[in-house]
Amino acid sequence: MTGSLATAMASWIPLMPLLVVAVGGFALMIVDAVSTEKAELATLSSVVLFSAGAIAAVLASGKGLAPAPAGVAGYLAVGQMSQFWNATICCGAGMSALLAGGYLHEHALERGEFYALIVLSAFGAMVLAAATDLLSIFIGLETMSLGVYSMVAYRRGSPRAAEGGLKYFLLGSFAAAIFLFGAALIYGATGHTDLAGIGQSIHDGHANVRLVVLGMLMLLVGLTFKVSAVPFHMWTPDAYEGAVTPATTFMSVVVKTAAFAVLMRVVLTCFSDELSANLGTGWPGVLAPMAAVTMVYGNFAASQQANVKRMLAYSSIAHAGYILVGVVTLYSADAQVRQTAVSGVMFYLLAYTVSNVLAFGSLIALGSYGKEAVTYEDLAGAGRRHPLAALPFVLGVLSLMGFPPTAGFLGKWYVFSAALSSGDSLLWLVIVGVLSSVVGAYYYLRVIVFLFMKSPEPGAAVAVPMRSGYVALALVLSGYFVLKMGVTPAHYIDLALSAASKLG
Amino acid sequence: MSQHLISLLLALPLLAALVVLFAPRQMVGFIRGFTVLAMLIEFVASLGLLDGNYASAAFQFPERHALVPTYGITYSVGVDGISLWLVLLTTFITPLATYASWTHIGMKVKEYAICLLLLEGAMLGAFFALDLFIFYVFWELMLVPMVLIIGIWGGVQRIYAAVKFFLFTMVGSVLMLVAILYLVAQYKAQTGHYSFEISELKLLLLPVKTQLWLFSAFALAFAIKVPMFPFHTWLPDAHVQAPTGGSVILAAVLLKLGTYGFLRFAMPLFPSGSHRMGPYIAGLAVTGIIYGAYCAWVQQDVKKLVAYSSVSHLGFVMLGIYSITSQGLSGSILQMVNHGISTGALFLLVGVIYERRHTRNLDEFGGLAKVMPAYAAVFVIVTMSSVGLPTTNGFIGEFMILAGAFMSEHLGANGPVCAFFAATGVILAAVYMLHAVLKMFWGPLTNPENEGLADLTRREGIALAPLLLLIFYIGLFPNQLLTSMRASVDTFASEYTAKLAAGDQHPTTRDMLQPAQVPEDELPAAPKTAHLDFAPRQLNARVVGGQP
Repeated sequence: MTGSLATAMASWIPLMPLLVVAVGGFALMIVDAVSTEKAELATLSSVVLFSAGAIAAVLASGKGLAPAPAGVAGYLAVGQMSQFWNATICCGAGMSALLAGGYLHEHALERGEFYALIVLSAFGAMVLAAATDLLSIFIGLETMSLGVYSMVAYRRGSPRAAEGGLKYFLLGSFAAAIFLFGAALIYGATGHTDLAGIGQSIHDGHANVRLVVLGMLMLLVGLTFKVSAVPFHMWTPDAYEGAVTPATTFMSVVVKTAAFAVLMRVVLTCFSDELSANLGTGWPGVLAPMAAVTMVYGNFAASQQANVKRMLAYSSIAHAGYILVGVVTLYSADAQVRQTAVSGVMFYLLAYTVSNVLAFGSLIALGSYGKEAVTYEDLAGAGRRHPLAALPFVLGVLSLMGFPPTAGFLGKWYVFSAALSSGDSLLWLVIVGVLSSVVGAYYYLRVIVFLFMKSPEPGAAVAVPMRSGYVALALVLSGYFVLKMGVTPAHYIDLALSAASKLG
Repeated sequence: MSQHLISLLLALPLLAALVVLFAPRQMVGFIRGFTVLAMLIEFVASLGLLDGNYASAAFQFPERHALVPTYGITYSVGVDGISLWLVLLTTFITPLATYASWTHIGMKVKEYAICLLLLEGAMLGAFFALDLFIFYVFWELMLVPMVLIIGIWGGVQRIYAAVKFFLFTMVGSVLMLVAILYLVAQYKAQTGHYSFEISELKLLLLPVKTQLWLFSAFALAFAIKVPMFPFHTWLPDAHVQAPTGGSVILAAVLLKLGTYGFLRFAMPLFPSGSHRMGPYIAGLAVTGIIYGAYCAWVQQDVKKLVAYSSVSHLGFVMLGIYSITSQGLSGSILQMVNHGISTGALFLLVGVIYERRHTRNLDEFGGLAKVMPAYAAVFVIVTMSSVGLPTTNGFIGEFMILAGAFMSEHLGANGPVCAFFAATGVILAAVYMLHAVLKMFWGPLTNPENEGLADLTRREGIALAPLLLLIFYIGLFPNQLLTSMRASVDTFASEYTAKLAAGDQHPTTRDMLQPAQVPEDELPAAPKTAHLDFAPRQLNARVVGGQP
């Protein structure tokens, strides 16, 4: 009796991160209704997210994992890979909640629903990253997206926020509809909604090839929209600029992570047959040029921006391009290369999460009520006046630039080295990637130039850094991980590698 | 102790930087004193490297720790006859440059000290690294402090110069990174495991065409750093805008990492590629010698003149390296050290006059020998060293390089031609340097602003004296340096030649480590463009199916 109870309990352990976040999200709404002190919500939501993340990080190393309960098994994967995604998502969301704790308070925008939105969107993202069925993918996608739409439009009075929110919502709905259409076509062609069944059916040649190709392209449109790859990136700069900065942080790290997780799962499970996973005839042939255009366009557009938030938005497009290089590598027939590529993308997204939190967090830290740091000019000379607030920014942009010894460098190295280990056919993509990253170096370097080498125009209002324990904590945590993953990456690499060994 | 000497040398600047970081910024005197003291301790500690056995070509004081075992990243460091003197040059020049340039740095002394210490650590790391990954990390790491030194404490155009320096170097570096990744992927494909260590990667025998591409990527990164004509355009800007301390270190050490990179990485790893590019590189080197000299001749700005003279001098170094003779190589390494000493001294001297007159325009000077006799004397001596007058260090290095190029088998008939044109560079050097000396120190003292200029101060004298001493010491007794590099240089030349011969005999042999593997040219002739049209798995299937 106790044995079977223990087994039943054990099978729920892999679902713990999801449950903690879901229960935490509802608890937050209740606490919000009864409490008057909004800062508590920031603490509570980050505690919920970080504890879920910690559980997931332990499970990701394979300790205490058990098969999922029967009702869930067909819809969600709860293996090491999903747990790794859970940990990354919770880390990004928890950091965003910390940033929100400082930012919303400073700018007098504090309302309880923001934290509930972060936690519940994170839940959607976790479902999305773990989904193994077109239905659960769609549910996760919508749960995540609806929360994010409202987070973008959170600053009610601001026309920019309204514009960004509406643009994101409309385009996002189109993308979701296209995804759904694609899912319907795939179902029509194969008679399955579960990814494994679809893959098997296509592999066995039972499926109508034309329907499958059309459906596959539509699924790719829906998912590459979420990762903001060119040409589906149009919403990104406006949504990023209009949203409050913690929401921007959340979008750039959490949404991207979940979307890449599901993108990889879909292409690996459904479309890994010889015809689909083929540089000439299948999705890699679509994604490879897309990756190239995304890297080049994202970097060049970012170099033209005067607004740092928009620059970071375009740079996040460029990063989507680098990560797509890793996704394209999944065309390889060599299982070891595929494993390297998957773990490379995982490592990259974790590194990107902490680096981006560092950059956005520093941007938040450098502004205060009535004077947000937004443009390069706002940063002029800030490094001289407030070295402590500027130093994390330097570390953040160096990591985003891919400069050793930071997490960002290891991420780029990992993804590009995976691409090259698949043979010569992606060499051109890697060369495009590194050369466009030189353009990236230019605009990231501009941040350092403005912080340390320029002085504000005479008479211009200078930004005064805010004082917030939440923001400071987020900066210290992410700064620590940026250096830790850059200097002693062995542990994280091995974790990603073992998590990538199975599509669990 | 001695088995961790190199790690100690790498850690010391970092620890000193940490101490400075936590020092109160008002204690300027302490920060200055401590920084120079730490650098002096570093120099004394680095003298311990002389204890190694340089009669053997093996790396001395080796250390190895796996950092990322899964991907073969290893902290692997060591020193041999090639890197020894460059390391000592680094630890020797850095405290002098720092000590002499403090007076120029009025603001943000603390940050300046941290930048210099980090720069020293990164440069040493790049010289010690025997693992490509570690090398790349240090190579990139050097960039940030240098960019900050130029961009924060530099002249009027400092930001333009700093960004240009950064982007030029970055373009070369990222392509080198791709080449490193590609090389390691090839190594993995052939041996089944990863390694970034050069001792392992050297064993690979790659097809000539692959070698050519990989060599070109490495060579581009290093040629930009050297800088070789036509990649030199960042150099005058960076030098002119950088503060004196930055200029000295940039000229004396940073540029050497380019030439060192050829010796340590690009040439041993890809001899066949290097050999095919050799004549072009030698040609560019000679072009650089003459072009740099002519540019130096027409400069009005003394600092720019010295900067262009670097282009010319490093052309000599590259020519000596590509002679692949024992003489030419030793001469090149010696000349790297010489250039560090004499050009470092020249930049210090230019800093001295700039600090007094706030101009570097040659037309503003004239007759300075009357008011600043000691300064004039030192300047003339350093000029002689730079020109390569016998009994100074410059003579030995240039003579060996020219002799090496003349007799080089690798350059063949081009050798004497290169040597001839390079020799005209020696004459041009005399022309532009003496032209500058003439305009600065002789003639009547026409400009009233030059009257009553103070001669060398004690601080400046202390910084310059060791450099003068070395100019004559190396000029008269070069053998201590030459003996300790002989074994490494000879091994370099013989390995290069042997591997070249092996590579040319089997241009498509992919593997010396696993001779059982089928060489590529024995596989059924799969169309070269196959991977564009078919997925690799199909290609593989076809290849496997084609085998009996």
